[in-house]
Amino acid sequence: MKKLIWTITGLFALSTGAAQAQISDAGGADAFAEDLKNANAQVDAGAVYDPWEGFNRKMFSVNNAIDKAVLVPAAKGYRAVTHKKQRKGLRNLLANARTPVILINDILQGEFKRAGQTAGRFAINTTIGFGGMGDPAERIGVPQHAEDFGQTLAVWGVNSGPYLYLPLFGPSSVRGGFGAVGDIAMDPLTWIRTDAAALTRYSRAGSTALALREPLIEPLADIEANSLDYYASLRSFYWQSRTREIANGRTNFDDLPDIGDFEEFDELE
Amino acid sequence: MSAMTKVKSIAVALFAGSFLAVSPAIADDEAEQFIQAVLDEAEPYLTSEEEQIQFDGIKQLVDKYVDMRRVGLFTLGQYARQMTPEQKETYLPLFKDYATQIYQNSLSNYAGERLTVTGSIDRSERDIIVNSKIVNPQPGSQLADMVVHWRVYRDRDGNLGVVDAGADNIWLAIEQRSQFTSVIANNGGPPAGINALIDQLKKQTSE
Repeated sequence: MKKLIWTITGLFALSTGAAQAQISDAGGADAFAEDLKNANAQVDAGAVYDPWEGFNRKMFSVNNAIDKAVLVPAAKGYRAVTHKKQRKGLRNLLANARTPVILINDILQGEFKRAGQTAGRFAINTTIGFGGMGDPAERIGVPQHAEDFGQTLAVWGVNSGPYLYLPLFGPSSVRGGFGAVGDIAMDPLTWIRTDAAALTRYSRAGSTALALREPLIEPLADIEANSLDYYASLRSFYWQSRTREIANGRTNFDDLPDIGDFEEFDELE
Repeated sequence: MSAMTKVKSIAVALFAGSFLAVSPAIADDEAEQFIQAVLDEAEPYLTSEEEQIQFDGIKQLVDKYVDMRRVGLFTLGQYARQMTPEQKETYLPLFKDYATQIYQNSLSNYAGERLTVTGSIDRSERDIIVNSKIVNPQPGSQLADMVVHWRVYRDRDGNLGVVDAGADNIWLAIEQRSQFTSVIANNGGPPAGINALIDQLKKQTSE
C-alpha cells in the first residue's frame, strides 16, 4: 500500500514539478509559491486561475489522445454489449464500493447527517440491493451523494490553488491532487496487500473509467463540436461544477461575476 | 436532541439570522413572472415532435428575450473595452448566432418537458436569478432534479432581459467568457487576438 501511495504521490509531485518548470523563466520555487498565493487572491469571480496553462494544455492533449484512441472506443464497445439496466447495475455497484471513502469524508467534514445517509445506503444496498447492483436506498428516499478528500480539504479551508490538469486523472487543482492521494489512502482495498486485492483494484479502476465515460460519449462530443477552445470550455465547466460539489449543492449566487458592468456602453447607443 | 445541541442549533440559527438581516436576498416577482411567461411561450416548441420546430421556436424566443449585446460584451471579459468599433460591429452579430446555436443545443435536451418557475433570488435590484424545474419529469429522467437557472437583468428603463442560463450552477455565458478570453489571450491579445476570435466564430457559425 505504501508503495502505491508513494507512486501516486511521486506522479503528482512530478506533474506539479513539471508545471513548475513551465514557469522557470520567472524563477523556480519562488514563482511556484507566488502562483499559489495569487490563486488565493483571485478576485475575478467565475474565472479559473490557470498560471500553468502551457503544461496543462500539453497534458490535456495527451489525455485527449488516449481518450479518443482507447477510452471512447472501449466505452462504445461496452455500450454495444450491455443493456442499459446492466450498465446502471455496474454504476451502482461501483458507487457502492466507493461508499467507505465517501463515509470517511462525510465524517471529516462534520456532515453527520450525510454520513448517516451514506452508512444507511451502504447497509441497504449491500443487502437487499444484491451487493450494490440495485439502489433500493434511492427509492426509499436516501439519494446518493459524492464526496472526496479534495472536498474535505476545501471544507477545512485549504484553498484550491491553481488549476491543474493531471495525466490520466484529468482536470483538478493542486488541492484536488492531494485529495486524490488521500482518497486512495482511505480506500479499504488499498489496505489489503494481496494479489487478489491488487487485481480487484485495477479492474475496478478500469471499469470505473468505462462506466463514467459511457454516459458522456455524446455530451462531451457535443461540447467539443460547439466550442472554439475545448480546453478552456472544459476547464470552465469543471471549475463551476466543482465549486457546487464542494458546497454540497447549496447554491451561492453571490460568487457569480457581475454581468451588468457595461452600463457605460448603454450610453453609447 | 440533547440540551447542548439544542442550544447550539439556536445559536446557529441566530447567527444565520443576523446575516439575513444584513443582506436581504429577496425574491423578485416581476422577474419570476417574466421568466414564467417565456417558459409558457416555449412549451409548444419544446413539446413539439419535430426538431425543426423546436430549433426555430428557440431561436425566435432567444431573439425576443435574450439581451445578446450585454452577454456578448460580458463574454469578452476585460477585453470588451479594448475592441475597436469595427471589431465590435463584426463581433456582436457573430456572437448572437453562436450563442443562439448554444441555446438551441442546450434547450433541445429538454424536449418534451415543461419547465416552471420555482423561485428567485436577487443579487441586486438589477440582477436577478430565477430558478425553474421540470414539471412531472419522465420517470428515471436525469433532468428530474435539475434546477434550471435564468439570469435576468433589469436595465435602466426597467426592461427585463435574459442574460444567462444555467443548470445546477453551471452557466453558459461564464463558460463562453472562459473560452473567448482564452482565445484572445492565446492569439497575442488585442487587437490580433480579437480578430482571431472573430475568425473562429465565423467558422463555427457557418458550419
